[in-house]
Amino acid sequence: MNTLLTLATRYLMGRKLRTALTTLAVMFGVLVLFGMNIILPTMITALQANVQGASGLVDFSISQVSGEPFSQDILAKVQAVAGVRVAVGSLQRTINLPANYLDNAPDTPDRITSFQLIGVIPSEASQIRTFPVVEGTFLQESATQQAVISRTFADASAVKIGDELEIPSVSGVQPLQVVGILPPNTDPGGERVYVTLATAQKLVGSVGKINQIDVNLPAMADEATRETVQADIQSALGTSFSVGTLLSGTEMFASIQMAEAAFNLFGVLAFFMGGFIIFNTFRTLVVERRRDIGMLRSLGATRGHILGLVLVEGLVQGIVGTTGGLIVGYGLGALILRLAEAPLSQFINIQLGKPVVSPALLIVSSLLGVGTTLLAGLFPALSASRVAPLEALRPNTHMPQMRWQRGMGFILGGIFIVVSIFVLFTGNALWIVPCGFLFLIGLVLVAPALVQPLAVWFGRLLGWLYARQGTGTLAQSNLTRQPTRVAVTASATMLGLAVLVAAGGLVSSLTSTMFDVIRKSLGSDYLFVPPSIGVWGSNLGSGAEFAETLRTIPGVETVSALRYLPSSANGQVLTLLGIDPQAFPKVSGLSFQQSVVGNDDQSYATLANERALIVNGVFLSTVGAQVGDVIDLSTTEGTVSYRIVAVAADILNAKIVTAYISQANLQADFGDSADVFIQLNLKPGADVASTEQAIKTLAADYPQFNVIAGREYTDVMLNQMSAAFGAMYFLFAMLAIPSLIAMLNTLTIGVIERTREIGMLRAVGATRQQVRTIVTAEALLLAAIGAILGILGGLYLGYVLVLAMQAMFPMGYRFPVNGVIIALFVALLFGAIAAILPARQAARLRVVEALRYE
Amino acid sequence: MSIRHALLGLLSQRPRHGYELRAAFSAVVGGEESWEVKPAQIYMTLERLTEAGWVVCESNLGEGQEPARRIYAITPQGHSALQAWFGSGVPSEHQRDPFFLKLITAVVAGEKDLQRILQVQRATLYRELHALTALRGRLDARVELAQILLLDKAIMHTEADIRWLDFIEIRLDEICRQPIPQPELRPRGRPKKEIQPE
Amino acid sequence: MAILKTNQLTKTYGAGDTAVTALDHLSLEIAVGEMVAIMGPSGCGKSTLLHLLGGLDTPTSGEVWIDGQNLTRLNDNQLTELRRRKLGFIFQFFNLIPVLNAVENAALPVTLDGMASQQAQAKATEWLQRFGLGNRLKNLPSQLSGGQQQRVAIARALVAEPALILADEPTGNLDTHASDEIAALLRQVAKEYRRSVVMVTHDPRIAAYADRIIFLKDGKLADETVLASQPAGAVAH
Repeated sequence: MNTLLTLATRYLMGRKLRTALTTLAVMFGVLVLFGMNIILPTMITALQANVQGASGLVDFSISQVSGEPFSQDILAKVQAVAGVRVAVGSLQRTINLPANYLDNAPDTPDRITSFQLIGVIPSEASQIRTFPVVEGTFLQESATQQAVISRTFADASAVKIGDELEIPSVSGVQPLQVVGILPPNTDPGGERVYVTLATAQKLVGSVGKINQIDVNLPAMADEATRETVQADIQSALGTSFSVGTLLSGTEMFASIQMAEAAFNLFGVLAFFMGGFIIFNTFRTLVVERRRDIGMLRSLGATRGHILGLVLVEGLVQGIVGTTGGLIVGYGLGALILRLAEAPLSQFINIQLGKPVVSPALLIVSSLLGVGTTLLAGLFPALSASRVAPLEALRPNTHMPQMRWQRGMGFILGGIFIVVSIFVLFTGNALWIVPCGFLFLIGLVLVAPALVQPLAVWFGRLLGWLYARQGTGTLAQSNLTRQPTRVAVTASATMLGLAVLVAAGGLVSSLTSTMFDVIRKSLGSDYLFVPPSIGVWGSNLGSGAEFAETLRTIPGVETVSALRYLPSSANGQVLTLLGIDPQAFPKVSGLSFQQSVVGNDDQSYATLANERALIVNGVFLSTVGAQVGDVIDLSTTEGTVSYRIVAVAADILNAKIVTAYISQANLQADFGDSADVFIQLNLKPGADVASTEQAIKTLAADYPQFNVIAGREYTDVMLNQMSAAFGAMYFLFAMLAIPSLIAMLNTLTIGVIERTREIGMLRAVGATRQQVRTIVTAEALLLAAIGAILGILGGLYLGYVLVLAMQAMFPMGYRFPVNGVIIALFVALLFGAIAAILPARQAARLRVVEALRYE
Repeated sequence: MSIRHALLGLLSQRPRHGYELRAAFSAVVGGEESWEVKPAQIYMTLERLTEAGWVVCESNLGEGQEPARRIYAITPQGHSALQAWFGSGVPSEHQRDPFFLKLITAVVAGEKDLQRILQVQRATLYRELHALTALRGRLDARVELAQILLLDKAIMHTEADIRWLDFIEIRLDEICRQPIPQPELRPRGRPKKEIQPE
Repeated sequence: MAILKTNQLTKTYGAGDTAVTALDHLSLEIAVGEMVAIMGPSGCGKSTLLHLLGGLDTPTSGEVWIDGQNLTRLNDNQLTELRRRKLGFIFQFFNLIPVLNAVENAALPVTLDGMASQQAQAKATEWLQRFGLGNRLKNLPSQLSGGQQQRVAIARALVAEPALILADEPTGNLDTHASDEIAALLRQVAKEYRRSVVMVTHDPRIAAYADRIIFLKDGKLADETVLASQPAGAVAH
């Protein structure tokens, strides 16, 4: 069998360019799928590490479904459950640190941007976790304002035993005395600061409360016992508690998962395209080697040998491409993660570690990479294995016309297109995304029949361009000779360009809508921005007195704060944001989409007058409710009913299940909460300089907030988004590169097949330039056909994506002028590039040899 | 005649006995099987050459001796005759073909199975070609190139003859349909219009 | 002893009025170590005959026997195996794999048969050396002259020690000098290595190397000429 391997390698090496390009096609698919899928899980992992921390001896962790703190009394209920060895309560909160807080050195990157404050009862906590203090002692039972930190934390903040560490709290910066130091922390982003429970409750403003109970069972407890104990705890505490996992941060996971789905869509498209290209490449090589194959067969190679030979080539390319894709994908993922860390940290305070590669992802990516190659190579390989030994003796290389029922394909494709357009009009989000694929498949099926008219149409254009040479017509008739092959090529090009145009559609729609909303939501003069926007639960807020103090500054007109508490409805975690119904509309604003109480002002007023909610689009789709419904929200004591009066969008919470509630209702039904985001407007004509000075002085005590002037903030945000979208365009243009290969292959087969004809043309007086022109014209025709199909498919796909995203984020579809122009340009450019080699090959043919070639 | 000049050429190398001449001749033409010359023919030719004054008999033993004992040498006239021969062309004699004579005779005689005649001839030629090829294969190109070239000539002509037979075979029926060439009874008459040269 | 035998071999293409009979009830025998040339005008069925003899095509009726095996009874895999072990093919266009060197090309049939590549290459080298290509072992086909390429092809045909060599216009693409060399080599193969050689050619000069020439016309045996004495039993019908 190693002859086959030798042969396969030699063949591959013999056509280095094609091998490289085909391998590149495989690589692209793997790259997109793998690269994108390590970025997002890495974020999730970082988030989980942030939220969960190490679990030690903990068998179960108990928290409220809503993530809210609960009474310490709950602990006794858990301890009473039979089979529980130890149950320890703690109050944990992630505290984000502003930039340069610890080292005060703007030039060096911050090593610690957040930590988890953990309040424990020292004697109890020791039963479930060990605290191997390397210096000093662990916390005293009754100590207040004492802390135990890790060596890394101590180093980063230059604190020694006995020194004071200042940390943000609800009542401004508070000092803690460091009494003990734990070994260096190896888990990036997992810094923990231990204080006594009482201290923690004071610092985060949750007196008498804990938010987590860790349970340890007797050693040797079997799986059945665990399940029994878990069930017993669950029934003792009721459904508002979850036993086992921590739910904090779920909202973020959901939005990340959506992004993941979108990227996977592009990954699948890339694979699709790769498949087409590989299919085409293998068809080419089977044609080229018809005689070799026939000869091998007559020498005694079995069909299996031939099948194996072609598949081994596919396998080699698949493996190399996949490996390359994995490596480059990992590199790209790591790079994007590094680049993303800075802008991302403005929104979510997490530290991204090394890219996380799950074995499953590795296996799936590899299987898809190699599998696609093999599958796409299988049909050409089968046709190769059917090459009769006689082919070796027969001198002509003609390719059997592949007619996979063109008529049937056309009808089926037509039906697909009609169905998908119909579904588009019904607006059913569930069906729209699969219909995007249906539409593309429809185009692929219809393509062979479209080649003829499109070629004629474009041929006329080319004929006009090359009027004097009469070569346009020749190129056109050459193309229409093998409509199936052209269609396969055009399909590959189409997929590449469809991605480009679809992304363009999505981006142009998203930017135009988003920019409006950003200006509206963040339109206030000053913003107090916490490190994590969106993931409110991980922020340390401020007590209500901070906002009160701000109001007293002369020159300040309105102060509006967002107060955060988590809750849940229908089992879905949601974010409650308490607003002041009077102040909020003055400094900020929601984009209302639908309301049951009239205009925007009336909607805000309703929040003050009754138990009412204004929710966002994601809320409705996640919770499964309609505007006007009354739903039950979970509280510490049970549930309370609220009416959904309107649906509106806000840039800050675009992807997070959010309900806006009046601060009065939040306080009454859900308990105390902190302000996590404050917006402030100045009086008209106020002295900006002195007011800003006063604001900044006050804010110095609350370093958890970043104070920025509104205009500046929106500008920064818009710039970042434009840059991100620009990068996305570039990335998608890269996705179209493999379509080059498809065109190159088709043109190459064309030249090989027509060697004798080209010789004849040259013999009757065609110049080399004319021969080159024919091939180039053919390439441009091919590219144009691909572009037309690609733009059609891309427009549809883009529209579908916009529709699908409308459910979460309101936006109107905007025609992607840029995307279409870029796609056309890319297609024609690639067509011209793809033509270079075959055109030269054709032009360089020696007339006599070409004529003799059979 | 070529034999005359060939003998002159051999004598210009050095004087030789008659039997020596015959052996040398046989050697340069590639053996007796390719060009057989009888001793009598050699002596007759030498006699004529002597008469013409191109050759002298240098026998010191006199007239009565055996012809084989006489030594012959070339004269200056002989040299110039040899040069004159070198300076003139040798016509080929391809039109005088024995097989053609046989075939046309068969046509004239009304022989039915002309195909058979062709096949036999072809087989003969192929056997000849086979033998020539085999013979040629045994020769050593480093020392016997002259003979190889002679064999090549024979091979090429045989090959041409075989191809010619193929030509004849294709048109055999046509030949039979055409009138047999007749002696011209009226030499000054008009040529017959219906017979057009092919 | 006959290594090859055909019995009333017939091949027709197409059907009805347009049917063309390429071979018409042809029966012949070829003895071990015999070299036979097949001649005839184009379209006489000589290529069809060669294809049928090599099991590359299936006859419409009649039988082909090679070394006691009836080809018409074999399926594709069995035919493939037969080609690999009992037959050697030589083509007009040499048909060497352009990406393999001389030794690798010559070794193909035995490597396809599962022989270890070192052993296979040793065998191929041996044949190439016999054919005067000892200093061209690692050359790619593009680095060899036409005659050299055809010698590699002959080595390839012989490497599996087949009983029968089928050559289709083996000198069709060579100049006179190289043609003579190849024809002589084929004769050597027949005489020295005792393989039977069946060669289709239109060149009388090449055909003259054979022991026997079979003339085909319109798919039928038109004539047959024995050029040299041959082993007993090699009589055509």
